[in-house]
Amino acid sequence: MSTPTSTAPQSVRFQPFSIRRVWTLASATVTQLVRMKILAFLVLFCLIVVAAGFAFPVMNPEQQLKLLKDVSFGALQVFAIVIAVTATALLLPRDLEDRTLYTILAKPVPRFEYLLGKLLGVLLLIGGGLLVMDLVLSVVLWLRQNMVLDAAIAGLAHDHMDTPENIAAQQAAVAREGLTWGMHTGVIAIFLKAAVVAALALLISCFASSTLFTIVITFCFTIAGHGQQLFRDYFFHGNFSAFGEKLAGTVLAIICPDLGLFDIVENVLNGIYPKLADMGYLGGMGLLYVTGYMIAAHLLFVEKEL
Amino acid sequence: MKRKLTALAVLLGLGLAKLPLEEATTQHLRDRQLLSRPIDLSLRENLGQMGFAASLGGLRSLVASVTYLQAYSAFENVDWGKVDSLFQLTTRLQPGYAKYWEEAAWHMAYNAASNYLYHSNKPRAIRHQLTREHVQRGIDILDEGLRYSPKSGILWAKLGEIYARRGLNPLTEQFEELDSQKAGDCYLAAAENGALQVYERLGAYELVKTHDVRSHRRAYEVLMKNYQAGKKTPALIHNVKLLEERLSIPTAQRIPEADSMPGPQVPARR
Repeated sequence: MSTPTSTAPQSVRFQPFSIRRVWTLASATVTQLVRMKILAFLVLFCLIVVAAGFAFPVMNPEQQLKLLKDVSFGALQVFAIVIAVTATALLLPRDLEDRTLYTILAKPVPRFEYLLGKLLGVLLLIGGGLLVMDLVLSVVLWLRQNMVLDAAIAGLAHDHMDTPENIAAQQAAVAREGLTWGMHTGVIAIFLKAAVVAALALLISCFASSTLFTIVITFCFTIAGHGQQLFRDYFFHGNFSAFGEKLAGTVLAIICPDLGLFDIVENVLNGIYPKLADMGYLGGMGLLYVTGYMIAAHLLFVEKEL
Repeated sequence: MKRKLTALAVLLGLGLAKLPLEEATTQHLRDRQLLSRPIDLSLRENLGQMGFAASLGGLRSLVASVTYLQAYSAFENVDWGKVDSLFQLTTRLQPGYAKYWEEAAWHMAYNAASNYLYHSNKPRAIRHQLTREHVQRGIDILDEGLRYSPKSGILWAKLGEIYARRGLNPLTEQFEELDSQKAGDCYLAAAENGALQVYERLGAYELVKTHDVRSHRRAYEVLMKNYQAGKKTPALIHNVKLLEERLSIPTAQRIPEADSMPGPQVPARR
């Protein structure tokens, strides 16, 4: 006599938070953004790097390398901020337009997971883009560094100045401006800044009436955020005189993130590299901003009528 | 509505809580020289609105590169006033980058000064005045750069070169030593701060040219250290022999005569 076995489907207990659901949403967001051809910027970046690397052969070797790094890191920053603002601003309206949002939220997916998945998707896209661009920059810089060094040593030999001391000094000078491990910490700082801007854009898009509104307001906050140190100086030291200035300074110091904190790139490019503790400070501040903005975004999104 | 108000409270709470943290992080990163001081608002007019906004927005290094390229272009057009003002902008944007200060000083003390001396139709007295002013401008630029980077070997070396080579002799209209004492001190500071070790010897040679006995003793110590390290160049041996006489070094402590060979005559100055 066989024992009866249950054929009824087992009920799956709903988990209030699932990292798998967040990951699924994040990967779908990456696919969605890639289809929007946002990464076309990568091709433009490669062209800029190659042009900057070979455009100024008459300048001295160190300046050639510095210029290549300055232009490339400038392009990296522009890429990261523009993608963080525009891609994030497009996400919610596009999901509403496509009605994907209703399909997702009709399933047992909490709204904060939806927001987290969207943010993670944008950050994956920015992180991946920065990684590819950093790789391209590293290869071009390494090639250029070797070419420049060979030319400099040939120049010393031509002038009969190729003593071991002079060659070592030239190698040290080129190495200082060339490819270093520490240089990549600048890319991490750019990523952290972009993460804060993306979280801010997501927060704004939770109450914004249009994509354009989100983009414009986020850019305004981004610009003000770079000057936030000046407003904070007032808050702690009181440098403004008029009442209006005082009020505006205080409000901006409170509501804007200090994006200038993440601008360590220029000093990193000059050979001053952060230690792990310094990156910890930056990472901690980035996490604080992102967490705060995501909590506020969740509170707004929960009440949003879709 | 309640949640919207909660969201606002969260943002305000975060805003107030973050201020001391931002201040502490900024101070920490500035102490570690990772973060520059905010850009001087007086630069706004010179940079233009776009350049100012870009430099404020984290693209300071890129804006400095652009103004550097503009300065290079002005140099090609032999427009020294523009070269100076554009390099001022560049160095203000990136005061910690020693190469910008060095190049700015080189343009003024070498290129502009020589150009005014040899390729100008102005009267002799004016040419001389302009030449001296531009050499001094180069010195001023390096002094300012050294306030930001006091341990920069290349800035000390360049300052030493100017003091050693850019004094104008009005009779011959040639450049010669401006101040051997300062040149020697700067060269030695360059060697102490990571420049090529040849600057240590050059510094000692400059100090030999002075009339100061303490400087002679210092030069002797430096040259003997190099001699004992095996750097027995003709100029070094000649200067050691000269100092042995001037400082009345006991015979037993003098370097062997066999090392001695004819070298350039170095008259004592100032």
